[in-house]
Amino acid sequence: MATRYVRNLAVDTLDGPHQAARRAQLELVTDRVTPLTLAREQTLPVHDSLTSLFPDGALRRGTIVGVGGVGATSLALAVAAGPSASGSWTAFVGGTDIGLVAAGEHGVALERLLVVDPEPSVWSPTVAALIGAVDMIVISPKHRLRERDARRIGSRLRERGSVLVSIGSQWPVGADVQLDIAESQWCGIGVGHGVLQSRKVTIAGSGRGAAARLRSLDVLLPGPGGGPRTIATVD
Amino acid sequence: MITPVRTLVAWCPDWPVVATGVPLDEPSAVLLANRVIAASPEARVHGVVRGLRRRAAQARCPELSVHDRDEAKEARLFEPVVAVLDDITPRVEVARPGVCALVSQGPSRYFGGEEVVAGLVRERMVEVVAGRTDVRVGVADGPFAAELVARAADPIRLVPPGTTAEFLAPMNIGVLERPDLADVLCRLGIRTLGAFAQLPATDVLARFGREGQGAHRLASGLDERLPDARQPPVDWSVSAEIDPPADRIDRVAFVARSIADELHRRLGRDGVTCVRVGIRAETEHGEELIRFWRHEGMLSDAAVADRVRWQLDGWLNGSAVSRPSGGITRLALVPDELIAATGRQLGFWGGETEADQRAVRVAARLQGQLGTDAVLVPEFHGGRHCHEQLTLIPTATVELAGRSLDPGDKTAPWPGSLPAPSPTRLLPDPVVVEILDEGGVVIEVTGRGLLSSPPAQLIVKGHRKAVVGWSGPWPIDERWWDVETYRRQARLQLVTADGQALLVVLEAGVWRVTAQWD
Repeated sequence: MATRYVRNLAVDTLDGPHQAARRAQLELVTDRVTPLTLAREQTLPVHDSLTSLFPDGALRRGTIVGVGGVGATSLALAVAAGPSASGSWTAFVGGTDIGLVAAGEHGVALERLLVVDPEPSVWSPTVAALIGAVDMIVISPKHRLRERDARRIGSRLRERGSVLVSIGSQWPVGADVQLDIAESQWCGIGVGHGVLQSRKVTIAGSGRGAAARLRSLDVLLPGPGGGPRTIATVD
Repeated sequence: MITPVRTLVAWCPDWPVVATGVPLDEPSAVLLANRVIAASPEARVHGVVRGLRRRAAQARCPELSVHDRDEAKEARLFEPVVAVLDDITPRVEVARPGVCALVSQGPSRYFGGEEVVAGLVRERMVEVVAGRTDVRVGVADGPFAAELVARAADPIRLVPPGTTAEFLAPMNIGVLERPDLADVLCRLGIRTLGAFAQLPATDVLARFGREGQGAHRLASGLDERLPDARQPPVDWSVSAEIDPPADRIDRVAFVARSIADELHRRLGRDGVTCVRVGIRAETEHGEELIRFWRHEGMLSDAAVADRVRWQLDGWLNGSAVSRPSGGITRLALVPDELIAATGRQLGFWGGETEADQRAVRVAARLQGQLGTDAVLVPEFHGGRHCHEQLTLIPTATVELAGRSLDPGDKTAPWPGSLPAPSPTRLLPDPVVVEILDEGGVVIEVTGRGLLSSPPAQLIVKGHRKAVVGWSGPWPIDERWWDVETYRRQARLQLVTADGQALLVVLEAGVWRVTAQWD
């Protein structure tokens, strides 16, 4: 109702004699009230140690991140941890087996986490419902995704601005940012002594558009205590 | 100044207790979130009052029977009580189960006076209530005052037109049900509605904003908001056809949810919100049922959906008299009293944020679609094993918005738990594996907690993998005092040649992979 009043008012005033001047004045007002943080709002922060994997050093809203290789779950949690720690909600779809303690250690805010395990028949509608309502959606589908559903989810993501992280199998129509763990080496454990402490991984990044440039990053994932850690700070 | 419309309120005391089916002369209390929200008169004699914790209430009255609140049941049992008023006036509105209101002007002209109508209302309701509780009737200017009059009535009380402010004046400021405002006013030395009403309205608005203005108007015996004489230009009502006709609540509940959402969206788009909503159902035999629900605050979509469900439950599972003769074919929501939506100030530090609200909404929506237990949230549980420390519970059991996950004493040291990093995948069905040494002999753990020989190979589902790193075993002997939950295990961390790290557990002579560091 409020909008209607404003519109009527605008039309009334513009009918007056100084139409051009008033229009200019209105445009000035439009300029002033345009939000300035528009560009910044289009991205979500990522963990400091992972920034070099993403084109803008941040997660662009509305994109799909595919993660693969041995250690994909850990990488997915590390990607989700950045936005989650800064106030976003996270949803795990079909990931009831993801270790919640590990998720917490990686930096996912557990008080802003929803876990849903839908049947394959209602899988796509469930993801579609979550898009726009939560910022980070981590999926590990146990069934094959149809290409049509994948496209539909992709366009809904671009429209609503959530980020989808797909663990394991390749996203049917290609992810915007694809991160694969090429090599991994556990530290802290020996033959008969020690304990699992951290894992040195080499992440290979590829993707589409700005993310197409091949890049690679060595990082501890999980680092000591859980979350990702750059190797330099440990040395 | 426009005086509020003459309203008659009928109040059934202790309705939440009545709905539990326990006679009022036994001590019983109804709890919500571990706090007493209603107590039977017998319990009140023992000092069980609203707001008490369960433990404290039971300490004051050891023979107290406690019940969890079931609003749906309260509403279902209240429906036949309200239904008897339908032939006095068609516009009976339910404020909440136990309290209903009607505009007294029309009926009193027809029946010959407010006293007659009040007597008639009480007589009809007492018949249905059948001794389970009392019925009190109050008439005053406006629903707020009328409810207070009903609470003070024994059993009928009429406050003459124009004297509502005098009636309200000696009342405690707490009856406004705005605890924050009441707290501030008390500290300013304003303890009664009369004293509050004497403050200049403009000053109250300047200092306490809209909410204070509304409270001030109520205290002065006026309507909370200025009456809006404009006719709603648009028809905001929403409806849905139900085909085939539904005669069970679970089939209509889903539709209720979606039209409540639709109504909310439509009102939100035009910047209005409603404080009273009519729920209308049509049956296959052409019957039309309608009932109005009022809410002091604004009705959110979840609140509307709840009320629709309760109302349908009342109609479909109520007494034989009011039950419709056929299935419901059409359900409609008619927003009745519309006000401009002024929005809500969101929390600056912590509290409920917009992101929280969106998440709460989607959780509720998915619950409607997939079932109430489909959406889960983590909760600290405590334990040695990674699948025990945090468990998943349905969202329905917690308050999602502004939730803070407090481990409390649940993360107190659990000797024997493994250090971080924790495994990222917990296998729901542990995989049985074989662990062999260099010579191909199956490895065991001795009674002293040592491996019989170093592991060298792991056989998972027929695949042979070389073990490149291992550590353990860490034996654990849990809950030996309880036969049911007793556990004796040895745990081993293994790293295989393909880079996978696994948690392998030996229990009852069988090795199983229970978790994985993926």
